[in-house]
Amino acid sequence: MQVRFLLNGETVEVDAPPTRTLLDWLREERGLTGTKEGCNEGDCGACTVMVTDEAGARALNACILFLPQVHGRAVRTVEGVSGPEGALHPVQQAMIDHHGSQCGFCTPGFVVSMAVGHMQGRRDHDDVVAGNLCRCTGYAPIVRAAEAAAKAKVPAWMSDEVPASETVSYAPETSDELAAWYQAHPDGTLIAGATDVGLWVTKGLRELPEVAFLNRCRDLQGIDDEGATLRIGAGVTMAALLPVLVRHHPSYAELVRRYGSEQVRQAATIGGNIANGSPIGDNPPALIALGATLHLRHGSGRRDVKIEDFFLDYGKQDRRPGEFVEAVTISKKATALRCYKLSKRFDQDISAVCGCFNVEVDGEVVSSARIAFGGMAGIPKRAAAVEAALVGQPWAKETVETALARFSDDFQPMSDMRASAGYRLETARNMLVRYFHDMAGETVSVREVRA
Amino acid sequence: MSLDQSPDQTTELTMDKAQPRLLDAMSQGLLGTRLSRPEGALKVTGRAAYAAEHLPDNLATGVLVRATITKGKVSHIDSDGAKAMKGVLAVFNGDPLVRNPAQGQAGEAPAQVLPEVHYFGQPIALVVASTFEQARAAAQSMTVTYEEEDAEVEPATASTVDKPKKSQSDTGDLEGALRDAATAIDVTYATAPHTSAAMEPHASVAEWKDGRLTLHGSYQMLKHNLAELADALDMSEDNVRILAPYVGGGFGSKLGIAPEAVAAAHAARELKRPVRVVMGRDQVFQMTLRRSETTQRIRLGCDASGRMTALAHEDRVSNLPGEAFSEPVAQGTHFLYGGENRRFTHEVARIHRPGTGSVRAPGEAVGMIALECAMDELAEATGIDPIELRVMNMRETTPADGLPYSERGLERCLREGAARFGWDGRRPAAQRLDGDWWIGMGVASAVRTNQMEESVARVTLQSDGTALVETDMTDIGTGSYAILTQIAGEMLGLPAKKVRVRIGDSDLPKSSGSGGSFGAQSCGSAVFLACKGLREWIADKLDVSPADLTLRDGVATGGNVQMSLADFAGLPQTSEGHVKPGDTADDFAIAGYGAHFAEVGVHADTGEVRVRRMLGIFSIGRVLNRLTAESQCHGAMIWGIGSALTEELMHDPRDGRIVNHNLAEYHVPVHLDVPQLDAILLEDTRDDQANPIQAKGIGELGISGAAASIGNAVFNACGVRVRDFPMTPDKIIAGLPDRP
Repeated sequence: MQVRFLLNGETVEVDAPPTRTLLDWLREERGLTGTKEGCNEGDCGACTVMVTDEAGARALNACILFLPQVHGRAVRTVEGVSGPEGALHPVQQAMIDHHGSQCGFCTPGFVVSMAVGHMQGRRDHDDVVAGNLCRCTGYAPIVRAAEAAAKAKVPAWMSDEVPASETVSYAPETSDELAAWYQAHPDGTLIAGATDVGLWVTKGLRELPEVAFLNRCRDLQGIDDEGATLRIGAGVTMAALLPVLVRHHPSYAELVRRYGSEQVRQAATIGGNIANGSPIGDNPPALIALGATLHLRHGSGRRDVKIEDFFLDYGKQDRRPGEFVEAVTISKKATALRCYKLSKRFDQDISAVCGCFNVEVDGEVVSSARIAFGGMAGIPKRAAAVEAALVGQPWAKETVETALARFSDDFQPMSDMRASAGYRLETARNMLVRYFHDMAGETVSVREVRA
Repeated sequence: MSLDQSPDQTTELTMDKAQPRLLDAMSQGLLGTRLSRPEGALKVTGRAAYAAEHLPDNLATGVLVRATITKGKVSHIDSDGAKAMKGVLAVFNGDPLVRNPAQGQAGEAPAQVLPEVHYFGQPIALVVASTFEQARAAAQSMTVTYEEEDAEVEPATASTVDKPKKSQSDTGDLEGALRDAATAIDVTYATAPHTSAAMEPHASVAEWKDGRLTLHGSYQMLKHNLAELADALDMSEDNVRILAPYVGGGFGSKLGIAPEAVAAAHAARELKRPVRVVMGRDQVFQMTLRRSETTQRIRLGCDASGRMTALAHEDRVSNLPGEAFSEPVAQGTHFLYGGENRRFTHEVARIHRPGTGSVRAPGEAVGMIALECAMDELAEATGIDPIELRVMNMRETTPADGLPYSERGLERCLREGAARFGWDGRRPAAQRLDGDWWIGMGVASAVRTNQMEESVARVTLQSDGTALVETDMTDIGTGSYAILTQIAGEMLGLPAKKVRVRIGDSDLPKSSGSGGSFGAQSCGSAVFLACKGLREWIADKLDVSPADLTLRDGVATGGNVQMSLADFAGLPQTSEGHVKPGDTADDFAIAGYGAHFAEVGVHADTGEVRVRRMLGIFSIGRVLNRLTAESQCHGAMIWGIGSALTEELMHDPRDGRIVNHNLAEYHVPVHLDVPQLDAILLEDTRDDQANPIQAKGIGELGISGAAASIGNAVFNACGVRVRDFPMTPDKIIAGLPDRP
């Protein structure tokens, strides 16, 4: 595939197989070895690069970014974060001064994450670098460096012009083009952010003969305010969704803030997270609790399904060959929505259990209940029996206790290395208790750990 | 200057007795300061080249092939198809490929056992091709046939269990003392296996020229690695050179030569072209040495006043058959606390999980979890404050041998740490509920044995008055470049920018290398001695005694003369320093000490644990660089958080393979797992018995005991005593108290 982009300010043209990662290309072909490979699956951030397009600059993991995804974009590596004459970027100088670099192997990745954050004037340094692992010095000196550099001017060389780019056959420009392509290639693979498909290639060593890259489908990347609802395009990244959720659904937003990492959220799309049908994806339980509607498209045909009905069985969704997720619609208001993510490690970890609750009370009585879990079954699943035990009953401790007994009707979770079946069931129950306390006005945010 | 040229002068010292504190008489004011690392700019710009980044012309790439059985024999590798694939150059199997990395300081080849297979994931072949993708595709395509044998992979039920004689001891009457004790406890702790997870995966680029091998590797101890690699390849070490100027973290995993280096060197020799072999992250997990899982039974008994009369620490660890290393679990317990009736037993289950070796602070990192949690249990049982109980049970001399302690800041650390941390705010267990969180505090002692190793370094006073420091020492993130700059600068009266440090080249004088927290003090002592020799040379030129010589900012002052160093006749002058351990190592118990304090929250509904703050305070003798030393403490305390809460290698119970061989499922602490950390180094301590620079190690002390303080804080928070580390929420939830 012909790919054209800006690399550290210079135009490059590459003919690459669809699954050539940007990282391999940078290191092996360009000899730009500042960008490191630490894990080759998006866990460690050592390969972080800056990618700029019309939506602005973002930090991405180059190890699970395919070359065709950067067509028409500008890429800046750690080498390009320094000035043309070798001048240090303010975050580079601060990393030296504050001893943010020890063995130095994670350092280029941190530097790029920090430089992108710096350019955008971000002050949430903890979140900016949450996708970068360090095994030596720990994180405090790095955050001190980010703080120290925050007020320095953004060096002129950091502003990349988005290059003009011709259309390419492998990356549809509109959803209509995509629909036509997919109808013609129903066995093809759609690649949105590649945070999952990337691993099929780097770890699963799979060949992907027919692919379409979705990042140029602009009409899939909008969030439409439809009055009482929001229609979210399938191509909206988790990073783009986050500020919208902060406004409308703060608890869901807090869940998304712990979803992957900055680099993963900048790549991953909500459509991809739904369509791959993972039982441990963090969006589906929240969307089920919100009563979301999924919009599917096949050629020119469209249909809507309730999101909980989309997940049929482990690895199986209600999606025909050639059919794709076009958008999802959620209610703008759900004051009773609460999302609880439980993982072994607080950040950057796959949920052992993700529980989302939306129980509405009319007067004293439960008028409706939508409760869904990830990690408790082969699919993201609604807790129908628990809900039934709540609806029509007074919203009281006794009702909750009765409902707790119904969890085992809804779920027979499995034991794996993230959690035992027993623990999953017990914490799922406890999440309902926690939700009850939460609704009663007690603080339960796991973020609020005070020293 | 090449290897075989002798220096102009040599200063040797065997550490048989305490040395004068010469560094305290120097006047440059560079040592101990927060000098940032001289190579920092190279690292932040991506210009520091790590092993895999040397790309000589005509470079071929090798991919290691792993065994998919646990034990048996490779009977056949069908590689014909692979060899016919595009770009494939060769397939190597059998000798000289090695089973696993050499143990630290082994100095000889690791086991070469092919066609035998001893663990799942063992390297059994190397496929070399023009590109990585070609090699990997060919490696995937090969069919391997095995003769498979039954293998034991479970330490608890292993049928072969070694009991190394030197690790067993029984003094007095343990059972009697426990029977008669006013309070006694008998508890068993378990800790999970760990992996180093250094950020840089193991990598080697091998190149032969005129019969001599140059290997760009990621290694910690070049003089030993040289011997190991030469032995594995059956050649003379004189014909091997290893370069490792930048190493992306080690933590023990790069102590000994590893499979990728031997494979790359062999393939390059056979193919007569440079070969690179990089381990994928999954291979790093599977083919490098892990820290053993442990089970540890601790029995403690004390009289009514709290004075301990009985102490037993009995453990079981595991390793592959034939590996000499076994995790020295009770290393710190031997000399930390009293109790005249003592028993130590140490068992090594011979099983077929991937091999075990040194991972940051072998011994104390896990031994101190059990001991220091057990001490907390004894404090709880007696009602004595945990700090008072510890102080009360420190003895004047070591309990087993009656040796004096060289320098022991333990009580000071416990008391100063308690004051700074606000220990007096601690409440009895399960009494502070803050919102949904049970809050508690815990303390643990820190101890790590200290050793200095033989080291040589060369310092040249150049004609321009600057100094060049040369040794085969490595900087694995620890700060060697900075520290050696500071020692030389302090001794020779030079600012940092006038000292150049060349390390990471096995052709340079042989140092201790990095490991065991001995690098800075050992190599630093050699640099110190070399500089001491240069001071004598300068003093001689000025015709004054060295004690009357002042060196500062590049100027020598002695008698009535002031002279710039650049103006001395006879430059360059090359001086070698050579330090060896001596009698002080046998006559004194030499260790670093400290105390860890942790405050945690335990979620009342889910059992999740969040560390809210931690304080570590340490006594390590002279501090060479406050910045790098504190950084070592931070990193080590974070390792403590990992081993307390999340880090755990998981083995498939059927075949022993490592299941979570990636950074997504092996949970090193990430940014938001780490709270406010305070690392404090006592300012005015010197250990005169340790070495001529009076400094002790810090890289491992900071982890020793850290996890125990968190375990004790969890108990204090919610009343649940977890004796199985890491303390994942499922181990806590069952015992959580009801909300009040």
